[in-house]
Amino acid sequence: MMQPPKTDSTVAMKAGDTLLSVRNLNKHFPIKDGILQKVVGQVRAVDGVSFDIRRGETVGLVGESGCGKTTLSQCVAGLTDPTSGEILFNTGQGSQLGDGDRIDKLPKDRYRTFRRNVQMVFQDNFASLNPRQLVVDIIGRPLKVYREASGSDLTERVVALLEQVGLGRQHLYRYPHQFSGGQRQRISIARALALDPELIILDEPTSALDVSVQAQILNLLGDLQKERQLAYLFVTHDLGVVRHMADRMITMYLGKVVEQGPTETVFQQPAHPYTEALLAAKPDLADDPDKPFALLEGTIPDPARPPLGCRFHTRCPRVTPSCGWEIDDIVRFLEADESLFQSLQGVERRSARDADLIFKDPASAVALQEAMKSSSVPEAMRAATERLTVEGSRLRATFSEVDEVQLTERGPEHFAACKLDHLSR
Amino acid sequence: MAVTDLPTPPKRETAFGVRMRRWRDLLKTLLSNPTTFIGFLIIFLLLAMAIFAPFLAPPNVPDPYQMPRDWGATRMPPGTPGFPLGTTNQGGDVLYGVIWGSRTSLQLSVIVVSVTVVIGIAIGSIAGLVGGWIDETLMRIVDVFLSIPELIFALAVAAILGPSFTNIILSLCIVFWVKYARIMRAQIILIRQADYVQAARVIGDTKLSIFFKDMLPNASTPIAVQATLDMGNIVLVGATLSFIGLAESGIAEWGVLVSEGQAGIASGRWWASTFPGLMIFLWALAFNLVGDGLRDALDPRTEDKR
Ligand SMILES: Nc1ncnc2c1ncn2[C@@H]1O[C@H](COP(=O)(O)OP(=O)(O)O)[C@@H](O)[C@H]1O
Ligand code: SF4
Ligand SMILES: [Mg+2]
Repeated sequence: MMQPPKTDSTVAMKAGDTLLSVRNLNKHFPIKDGILQKVVGQVRAVDGVSFDIRRGETVGLVGESGCGKTTLSQCVAGLTDPTSGEILFNTGQGSQLGDGDRIDKLPKDRYRTFRRNVQMVFQDNFASLNPRQLVVDIIGRPLKVYREASGSDLTERVVALLEQVGLGRQHLYRYPHQFSGGQRQRISIARALALDPELIILDEPTSALDVSVQAQILNLLGDLQKERQLAYLFVTHDLGVVRHMADRMITMYLGKVVEQGPTETVFQQPAHPYTEALLAAKPDLADDPDKPFALLEGTIPDPARPPLGCRFHTRCPRVTPSCGWEIDDIVRFLEADESLFQSLQGVERRSARDADLIFKDPASAVALQEAMKSSSVPEAMRAATERLTVEGSRLRATFSEVDEVQLTERGPEHFAACKLDHLSR
Repeated sequence: MAVTDLPTPPKRETAFGVRMRRWRDLLKTLLSNPTTFIGFLIIFLLLAMAIFAPFLAPPNVPDPYQMPRDWGATRMPPGTPGFPLGTTNQGGDVLYGVIWGSRTSLQLSVIVVSVTVVIGIAIGSIAGLVGGWIDETLMRIVDVFLSIPELIFALAVAAILGPSFTNIILSLCIVFWVKYARIMRAQIILIRQADYVQAARVIGDTKLSIFFKDMLPNASTPIAVQATLDMGNIVLVGATLSFIGLAESGIAEWGVLVSEGQAGIASGRWWASTFPGLMIFLWALAFNLVGDGLRDALDPRTEDKR
C-alpha cells in the first residue's frame, strides 16, 4: 500500500499549512561522574535538528536505536525542555509561524491549544497505561481534564472511541493487564484520539508487537488519519513501516538529521550512504524485524564523543578523504588491536586532527606507522593523512582539515548531509 | 490473554463492581494461604474483642482503661469464680486487662500507623519529587533514623518525653515514619519516569492529579505491606516500652500488666503476666502473618496472573 506524495513542489505550500516546526533543536544530557557529580561531558542526543510537519501528513523518523528519536519526540510533545532551539506550533494565529508561536513562550490559553492538539502514543504498550485504572478511566481522562464530558456522557464518548479503535463497550471496565499487546496499543490510540488532536507522535508504536498485529495497528492508524485529517510523527527503526506510512521521512544518525525528503524519492534515490545502507538491509515490511541493519558494519560510536566531520564516517561504506578523519579514528583503530593498544601510553593533542601518540617503545610506534600506510586502515583515511612521522617512541599524525558537512538540497524537498553529490550505483 | 475470548460479561457491569471484584479476588488469594488465613482469624478475634469489650467486661468507672481494683480478691488463681483468669496483686481482674488491653493496643497501632504512613508518604514524596538538596537532606535524616534500632530510639524519645502512655504513642510516631518515607521515595522515583505518567502529562493533567491518580495508587502496595507488619510491630515495641515502666501504672495495657505481674512469677503466680504476654505475642504474630501473605499476594511478578 503506497500513498501518493501529498506534497507537490510545483504547488506553493500554503503558509498556514505548517502545523509544527522544529528549528535547530538541541537536547544534551550532562554526563556526571564522581561523588561530586561533576559534569564531565554531554550526550548530544539531539543535535541541531530542524524539520516541519504539515497538517494531515505523516513524517517518518528513522534511525538506529540510540540515535535520539525518543528524545526528539519527547521534546516535540513538550515533555522535556530542549537545551536550545525552538519548537513552533500553529495555534491558528496568523499565517506565518514566528517567534510568538514557540511552545515554551505561548500564553496559557494557546499553550492549552498546543497541549490538546499534540498527543502521543508510546512504544511500551504496557508501561504507558496506568495498571490501577480501568479502561473507562484511562480513555476518559483527557475528556475529564478538559471538562468535556462527565457521567454517562463520558462513558458514551469512551465507548465511541473504543469502537473507533476496534474495541467495544465490553472493554470499558477492564484493567490493562487483561488485554493483549495489540489491544493495549489500541487503548493508547483511543486515549490519544479523545481530544481530537491535530498531531499524534507515535514512538515506535508497533515495534513491541507481533508482525501480524503490527499490520493491524498500522492499518488502523492509516484509517484514522484519513477520517480525521491527522498528522503523524511516526518514529520507527523499521523502514518497511516508514514506506507504508510516511509521506516524508527523516533519517537520523547520532542526534543529527542526515537525510530528509519525500519517502518515495528517498527510497528510489537515497542521497546519504547511511539511508542507502538501511534500505539495502531492510527493504520491505516482510523482513524479519529482529535483525534490521545486517549490512551495516561496526558499532555506533559513543554519542558523548561523536566523530568529527560526518558522524557516519567511522562506518560509511563510501567514505572519502574529506569526511572528517581525526585522531580519534586512530584511537578507534588501536582499540581493535590489543597488543598495540596495550603499549599506547598517551595521546598529546594539538588539535582533534593533529597529535602525538606516545608508545612504550619505538617498535610499536613504527608498527602503527606501517599499519596506517597499509590496507588495514580504510583507503580514504590513508589519503587524508597529511603527516605520519615517527620520532623515537612518538608517532605524530596529522589529518587534513575539512569543512563540516551540511544538509544540502538534492531535489525538491530532498536534503542530505553528505560530501558526495550523488551516490553512484 | 486476549479479552475477546472471554465469555461475554454480565450486562450491567460497573466500575464499582469490577473494583470490588478485584478486592474480592485479592482476599480470596490471601485466604487460600493457610498461614495468612490463621493470621486473619486471630486478627478477627482480637478486633471483635476490642470492639465488644464493653459487653465482654463491663467498663470500670470512671475510666475503663484503668484496671479495676478489688482489694478483697487479690492474687486469685485462674478459675476463681468471677475471675476466670485470676487477679493481680492489687486485685485487678486479669481477664479485664486482657480484653480492654486489646482496645488500648488497637488505638495505639491505628494511631501510630496512620500518622506515620501520612508523614512518611509526605516526606518520601517531597524527597522523590523535588530532588536536589532537599532530597539529600531528608534522606540523610532518614539514614540516621534507620541506623538506630527502633526500640532503642523509641525508648530514648519516650524517656526524654517522660513516662506516660501518650508519650509512648508520640515517640512511636517519631520513630516509625522513616521506612515509609524511604519506600515512598523509591516508588516515586520509579513511577515518575513511567510512561503512564508521561502519558498523563501529554493529555495536560495537573501535577496534583497525576500524584493522586498515578503515583499514589501505584506506590501503595509496599506501603500497605509495611503498614500491616507495623500494626504488629508497634504493639510489640509499645508494650516493651510500657513494660520498662514508661507508661502509667495501673492502666489496662498488656505491657504494663506483664510488668506488674512479673514479680509474682517467682512465687508461682504466673497468670498475671502470662495471659497479657500471650496477647502481645498473638497480636504481633497475626499481623506479621497477614503482612507476609500480603507481600506474596501483591508481588508484581505474580499479581498480573490473577
Ligand atoms: N535521560 C537521559 N539521560 C542521559 N542520557 C539519555 C537520556 N535519555 C536518552 N539519553 C541518551 O540519548 C541518546 C538517545 O536516546 P533515545 O532518544 O532514547 O534514542 P532512540 O529513541 O533513537 O533509541 C542515547 O545515547 C541515550 O543513552
Ligand atoms: S560525508 Fe557522506 S561519504 Fe562521507 S562519511 Fe559521511 S556519509 Fe559517508
Ligand atoms: Mg526510542
